[in-house]
Amino acid sequence: MGLLSILRKLKSAPDQEVRILLLGLDNAGKTTLLKQLASEDISHITPTQGFNIKSVQSQGFKLNVWDIGGQRKIRPYWRNYFENTDVLIYVIDSADRKRFEETGQELAELLDEEKLSGVPVLIFANKQDLLTAAPASEIAEGLNLHTIRDRVWQIQSCSALTGEGVQDGMNWVCKNVNAKKK
Amino acid sequence: MKHFMKMVVQVWLYFYCICLWRCFKFILRKLTGRCELQRICYKNKPGAGRTLKIEASLKSSKSKLLQSSVTVHPDAIEKTIEDILALKKVNVDTNPQLAVSLQACLLQIAGYRHLTVEVEKLRREAYDSENPEHEEMLIKLWKLLKPGVPLDARVTKQWCEIGFQGDDPKTDFRGMGLLGLYNLVYFAEKDTTTALQILSDSLQPKCRDVSKEEFSKVSKTEWEMKKFDKAIGYSFAIVGINITDLAYNLLISGALKTHLYNVAPEAPSLHHFQQTFCFLMNEFHKFWIEVDPVDIMEFNRVRNKFHKRILKQLQKTDMALCPHFAASESLVNV
Repeated sequence: MGLLSILRKLKSAPDQEVRILLLGLDNAGKTTLLKQLASEDISHITPTQGFNIKSVQSQGFKLNVWDIGGQRKIRPYWRNYFENTDVLIYVIDSADRKRFEETGQELAELLDEEKLSGVPVLIFANKQDLLTAAPASEIAEGLNLHTIRDRVWQIQSCSALTGEGVQDGMNWVCKNVNAKKK
Repeated sequence: MKHFMKMVVQVWLYFYCICLWRCFKFILRKLTGRCELQRICYKNKPGAGRTLKIEASLKSSKSKLLQSSVTVHPDAIEKTIEDILALKKVNVDTNPQLAVSLQACLLQIAGYRHLTVEVEKLRREAYDSENPEHEEMLIKLWKLLKPGVPLDARVTKQWCEIGFQGDDPKTDFRGMGLLGLYNLVYFAEKDTTTALQILSDSLQPKCRDVSKEEFSKVSKTEWEMKKFDKAIGYSFAIVGINITDLAYNLLISGALKTHLYNVAPEAPSLHHFQQTFCFLMNEFHKFWIEVDPVDIMEFNRVRNKFHKRILKQLQKTDMALCPHFAASESLVNV
């Protein structure tokens, strides 16, 4: 058997495609996280107008990650991307305490969306590399995450800048891809 | 095995071509009595056509002196040229033009390299709200774009009026650092009319021409909603930061060489780069209107299309991204 046929055989087992929606306020670090996932350079990031999409291979899945801009003006467009979402990743800037209330409200609204009902949600408590960052436990309490009963959820502290915690979060995502409650 | 053979043939072909090219140059040199550098200088007009060929010729040279001449410090250029002329055994008295042309090319090449370093330094300097100079610059931007309108506070929703994302612009510069702010201020200062026009256009709700038939289909409330949907325009400052990224990429990749070598006869400098930014803002705005995207979510698609278009324009060596705008009236188009 030649190298080519091995390659062809590998290719013939297609990965399960997973649609992941990456949301959060502006400056939460969504695009940095996306680029970190795709192992791309993260030093040239600009504020997202519209959206970015990247496909990443991970643990037998093809993750199609949609990163939608978080600016207030763009948030009304989030709903256009809800359909067929397998996992929602919500990113929070753990050092931006002034906007914890705002980010909590946006998350609560998302969890009430019919098109996202039952969709597993991973909350990234991002920017843990900053000294002023609130720990994940504090954020979980502040956002009343323990009241979420209609879906599986997880909060993961991470730093998209250094990459710490990102892989742990994605492992959770891969484990819970098929945990969508009907 | 087949692929391996193919590769071997390709590698062999590559070396064969190099060898052939060297022989060709040798014969030409014997026939014309001129070296490649001379031939380029005599055949091409000053500008990108000439400088790019000289740059390529020097870089691919076998001689260490010629190779290193493209990275030489501007102050050492004269000495380098003397050395090159001596190495190539060019008689300065019978060929007075060569040294002058070569100097012009090397100055441009060194200038571009220097500009790249300068721009990279600015980009790497993050916006710091504790730094009074940075703050002053930001306030200046507000004053230029909103003449006569006072800011209520340093942190205020008003920033959204000039297209920042939230109530404090400091987080919006991100990977572009001070470069983004410098570019925006330059644009607002040197080409105020255009900047204000684009800002005002970007805030306009998009009025699509709706035929009577369609109009009857849309309910009145929906129509009214669409009319006042401010989200249809784009965010001026944020787009400025994104276009800064585009200009930066063009510069770093070397694609801007054609343009800069054509518009900067001496050496490209920061203001040339900033003028290019102004031009790109203006062009992008026109392009956006021309493409007529449904909403802001199409931004990256439009941006990529625009990027490709500019790259294509820059492939023509006689190309100077058109200097017909206020900020570059002082430019000489060689």
